[in-house]
Amino acid sequence: MTSRDEHEMRVGFAGDAKKITVDVPTGDAPPWDLDTRLTSVGGRTRRIDAVAKVTGRARYAYDVDLPGMLHAVVARSPHAAGRLASLDLSAVAALPGVAAVIPLKEPGNRVRFVGDPIAAIAAQRLDQALDALAAVRAEYTTEAAVTDFRDHPDAPELVRGEVVGPWPGRGGDEVAAALAAAAHTAEGTWICEVQTHSCLESHGLVAWFKDDGTLEVWASTQATFGVRGGLASALELPEEKVRVHAEFVGGGFGSKFGADAEGVAAARLSRLVKCPVKLMLSRFEDHTCAGNRPSAIIRIRAGIDARGIITAWDYDAWGGPGYTGRGGGTRHNPTYFTRAKTRNSHRDLDSATDAGRAMRAPGWPQGNFAMEGMVERLAELAGMDGLAFRLLNDADPIRQAEWRLGAERFGWEQRRNPKPGTPRDGDPAHLLRGAGLASAFWGQMGGTGNQVTCRIHQDGTVEARNGAQDIGTGMKTVMAVLTAEELGIAPERIRVTMGDTNDPVGPASGGSTTTPSLAPTVRHAAWLAKAELCERVAAALRVEPGSVRCEGGRVIAGDRALGFDEACRLIGPTPVEATGRRFRNYEGYQDSVAGCQFAAVVVDARTGVVRVEKMLAVQDCGLVIDTLLAENQVLGAMIQGMSYALHEQRIVDRATGRMLNGDFLNYKISGPADLPDMEAIMFPVANGKNNVGAAGLGEPPAIAAPAAIANAVGNAIGIPLRHLPITLDKVLAALAEARRNR
Amino acid sequence: MNPFELRNPDSVAAASGAAGPARVFKAAGIDLLDRLKERIDDPDALVNLLPLGAELGGIGRSDDGTIRLGALVTLQQIADSDALAAPGLRALREACGEAATPQVRSRATLGGNLLQRNRCWYFRSAAFQCAHDGKGDRCLAWHGENRYHAIFGVVDCLRVHPSNAAPPLMVLGAEVEVQRGEARRRQPIAALFPDSPAAATAEHTLGADDVLIAVHLPAAAARGGSAYRESREKQSFDWATTAAAVHLGVEGGRITSASICLGAVAPNPWPVDDAQSLVGEAPSRELFEQLARRVFRRATPTEQNRYKVEVGQAILVDALLAAAGL
Repeated sequence: MTSRDEHEMRVGFAGDAKKITVDVPTGDAPPWDLDTRLTSVGGRTRRIDAVAKVTGRARYAYDVDLPGMLHAVVARSPHAAGRLASLDLSAVAALPGVAAVIPLKEPGNRVRFVGDPIAAIAAQRLDQALDALAAVRAEYTTEAAVTDFRDHPDAPELVRGEVVGPWPGRGGDEVAAALAAAAHTAEGTWICEVQTHSCLESHGLVAWFKDDGTLEVWASTQATFGVRGGLASALELPEEKVRVHAEFVGGGFGSKFGADAEGVAAARLSRLVKCPVKLMLSRFEDHTCAGNRPSAIIRIRAGIDARGIITAWDYDAWGGPGYTGRGGGTRHNPTYFTRAKTRNSHRDLDSATDAGRAMRAPGWPQGNFAMEGMVERLAELAGMDGLAFRLLNDADPIRQAEWRLGAERFGWEQRRNPKPGTPRDGDPAHLLRGAGLASAFWGQMGGTGNQVTCRIHQDGTVEARNGAQDIGTGMKTVMAVLTAEELGIAPERIRVTMGDTNDPVGPASGGSTTTPSLAPTVRHAAWLAKAELCERVAAALRVEPGSVRCEGGRVIAGDRALGFDEACRLIGPTPVEATGRRFRNYEGYQDSVAGCQFAAVVVDARTGVVRVEKMLAVQDCGLVIDTLLAENQVLGAMIQGMSYALHEQRIVDRATGRMLNGDFLNYKISGPADLPDMEAIMFPVANGKNNVGAAGLGEPPAIAAPAAIANAVGNAIGIPLRHLPITLDKVLAALAEARRNR
Repeated sequence: MNPFELRNPDSVAAASGAAGPARVFKAAGIDLLDRLKERIDDPDALVNLLPLGAELGGIGRSDDGTIRLGALVTLQQIADSDALAAPGLRALREACGEAATPQVRSRATLGGNLLQRNRCWYFRSAAFQCAHDGKGDRCLAWHGENRYHAIFGVVDCLRVHPSNAAPPLMVLGAEVEVQRGEARRRQPIAALFPDSPAAATAEHTLGADDVLIAVHLPAAAARGGSAYRESREKQSFDWATTAAAVHLGVEGGRITSASICLGAVAPNPWPVDDAQSLVGEAPSRELFEQLARRVFRRATPTEQNRYKVEVGQAILVDALLAAAGL
């Protein structure tokens, strides 16, 4: 049993601070809390790799170019469903430049979507490999395919956008009773289309199988160690013979956890030809073969009591996760329903399209869009403003404070349209303004099993190393800031290395766990290294070890103050080296983080075009390690959410199952000219979960924006829009229906 | 991909002489590169027009008020040109200034914008065979996905003409100058587009060895007012869902001349004959709204692009009001 030290901490935030006693595992660094005064942490540090990125010097997998490297492509099924009847690759190998070709599917096996891998070809040049695709002789027996989950035999019947048909029979008695007892009830249907991850760097890797039997890989991945494990197992190699690099990653958003069929194919090709093989997906392949956020149909019936408290919540959803038929679940914030009888049911409907993958808060933007839409309707039934209704129902103490702060800074009272569907004073008749808001909930505090090395050299260089990847979130800078804080020096001084599996083990970057998993480990490593530095300095100066400390860029030894470099010269030729561990989490303040977002829109009622004028987020992520990085994460998520709310949708040709807008011209993503005035307010909370107390910011800010924008559009035009993306045709159709009903 | 030859002719006549089947003229290459990468074009040779900047570039204004726009003038040059400052020419500047992105506008040429292939997603994918690319027997958009497709002038193909520059040039009465061999000819810009834009018909009427060398604007175009308006889903880098270019002459409170051409709604730039009904009337929002309703009553939308009828009316009214200075 691990021994523990009882430690008193002050946790929470200014409006809800409390003292708690936590068991800190012996050997852990003393935890930071509300009373800790920090220097580098919480500042605005420029990313340590900013210059490398903006000058193009940062090397991504896509940029890797090795001597003798071959280029590989994948032959793919043009059919959405059926079987591969025969496969003849004999003509491919004879083509100019082609070095190797391997089958990826055996005849007789199913093809499951347009793009299902059939074979892989490596050639000296990319164009030769692409040419060789035409020589792949594949025959198929095709079958009729359901290419949209709405056409699945088990899909609910939709009439004018509303699900009709019975509610699930099981487990609904309590909810039914609560609905029957409710003062007001409402029912509605929400629909979300498929969003693709649209990573700027497409998926893929460079694999080099060497003569000594080792495999070296440069991958665009969110999980260096996962790719190592996947390739080792696929090629039947021990893991230590595989080394994976991911120094820079051009976006993953949940779609880049594995080597994928393509990565394994590149490694197999490399083993055949004994030279490096590069296989990066094209933009079309990235849209169509590398995952997506599944579509969803969600219906909700709910009830409130006479005071406006939600007492019944029946949530029934269908997901469209593609050919696997798994992973299309939706989620929503539970904190409104602590006084409600609830039921939650879900079915996935498979279709002959690319499989869904995790995407930034998997299932949450869909679920919260529906939930916050229904909450808006319930507020209306209660005769309450949407903000007041949420304050009444939301059980989260952090978000209670965030709602109030956000509403004030956003100008909720002024921006809310008191007469939805009518122009505000001074606006022309066709411009309709409105405001909306929505909550966000996330609950990951990181896990154990990671290590970080901190090394201090005689010349004053400080290194922090971990083998996991920085997927663009700024994790390297987070490591620099934490190490610098502990050593009392500037973050710019720290040399951070990430993305090499020869370095200590780190997590996959999913579920916002990288920061909470690594931050306490980074700090622990720096804390141990500092202790040893102080000991060596004390020995060299012949002072008491306890009298040496690092502070303000100096090392204080009794009555002497040495510059940090000066002190490092005393440590001798052997660097100080410490390996930090990730101890288990403490009980802490609470296990989830809270956020909320506000949006103001203007709708042109003649053209149906929605423009977002203002967005504001208030977001808790525990301790804010760096304000600039944190705001950057929140703003990026708001833009992605706005893009999902208004533009993004995979458009598939129903007859063939082929995506029609698998490019960046027709797959529409919000661009610079679409962006509103945006504000991200970080809401620091001492969560007391570990020695740092920071949560991640991948997911939490990526949940609320679509719901907030949809609610703002509803407030502007006076009709709820319950189908994402909110494109002009849907707005015009809704306005036309409203005119007919008047 | 098949290797191709890149030819750099030293004169327009040489460029025309270098043309032929399986040879393609290249200006900035904005559209052509996309087609080559998607492998829907497979030329033996590219005849590069960029070396001919001296002959094909420049915006010039003659003493008689006519204006010559070289085919290699970029969209950004047009948007920024002082020679096009007159209110009557504003539509052209606005249209070119709204296109694509700053990067594309600074590279894309007027000639390329007029002669680019359409953007139908079936036509643009090598995986589909449709009647317009000559490999299929029908329009796939007709029974498929067509939210961005045509609502006017459909023969048997739902493509829309993608050029931003064409509608304003139509309303300005522009002529195009074309060279074949040593021979030059001028023709109204309307003649650049097929009478019946069927699936089997190309987007423009130029022969394989015709080089578009310039666009000429008559002096009269500078008089009066003009405007271009488009609606698109995004503000950054998006195609218009509907566009309208308008040129109006107004004297003594009455409309003396009127010309309207719609964009992004038909396989050709779509001139509105009804514009003549405005002549003699006093410009007003009500008048323009009536006209717009009349024009779009004749649209034949699909279920997916019905929105264009409503959007198009709004855009047309906006353009008319702006051109009339209201």
